[in-house]
Amino acid sequence: MIRTQISLSEAEYEMAKAEAARLGISLAELLRRSLRHILPPDNQNPWMRYAGMVETGEQDASQKIDEIVYGHKK
Amino acid sequence: MPAKRSTKSFTATRNEAYVDTSALISFADRSDSYHPLFRRLFANPPPLVTTPLVIAEGHGWFLKRYDPAKGLQFLSMTEAMPLEILPIGPAEQRAATTFLRKYSDQHLTLADAVGLHIMASRKIRVCWSTDFHLGLSKVQLVIHQ
Repeated sequence: MIRTQISLSEAEYEMAKAEAARLGISLAELLRRSLRHILPPDNQNPWMRYAGMVETGEQDASQKIDEIVYGHKK
Repeated sequence: MPAKRSTKSFTATRNEAYVDTSALISFADRSDSYHPLFRRLFANPPPLVTTPLVIAEGHGWFLKRYDPAKGLQFLSMTEAMPLEILPIGPAEQRAATTFLRKYSDQHLTLADAVGLHIMASRKIRVCWSTDFHLGLSKVQLVIHQ
């Protein structure tokens, strides 16, 4: 582990602390998780960080694109 | 000297795959049943081609389902991907219209039809899609491989 120091605004600090408390983790762990989410997991394939970027809850979401984009037939 | 048209007289010498909107959405949506497949495919992709119409459809999907911020995130995703986005002009539109007439009994979109034309003209054998419309010609959908 490398120790480092960062500066946050008071509002950012309070929000981050509240979120960490809600998740039951430390502020440091929250920041580490946030960084892991933002940084590409593989520098050679930077697009892979977008894999699963949304969760529609629909198993057939990719088969209903026309309905969403073009609408249902009236 | 006029620019070479990218979709005419093309001989496939590489193992290109055509990427449809559904492949991009499946990759982005972890709920989709094909997400694990496209996650694996995009992790080690062959040369990939698509069109601006596919990008526009995907962007429209994110605008409808989410918001402009997610739409921009989708565009960033496509920019990061090793995707060759082919130029589409009047010639490609005319060729796609021929496909729309041929398959007029199907609910084929112009984006689908342009995709069918691109795959035919570039002799692409594999289509990354979950949409059966893209399998109307002889190209094999990757979900059936």
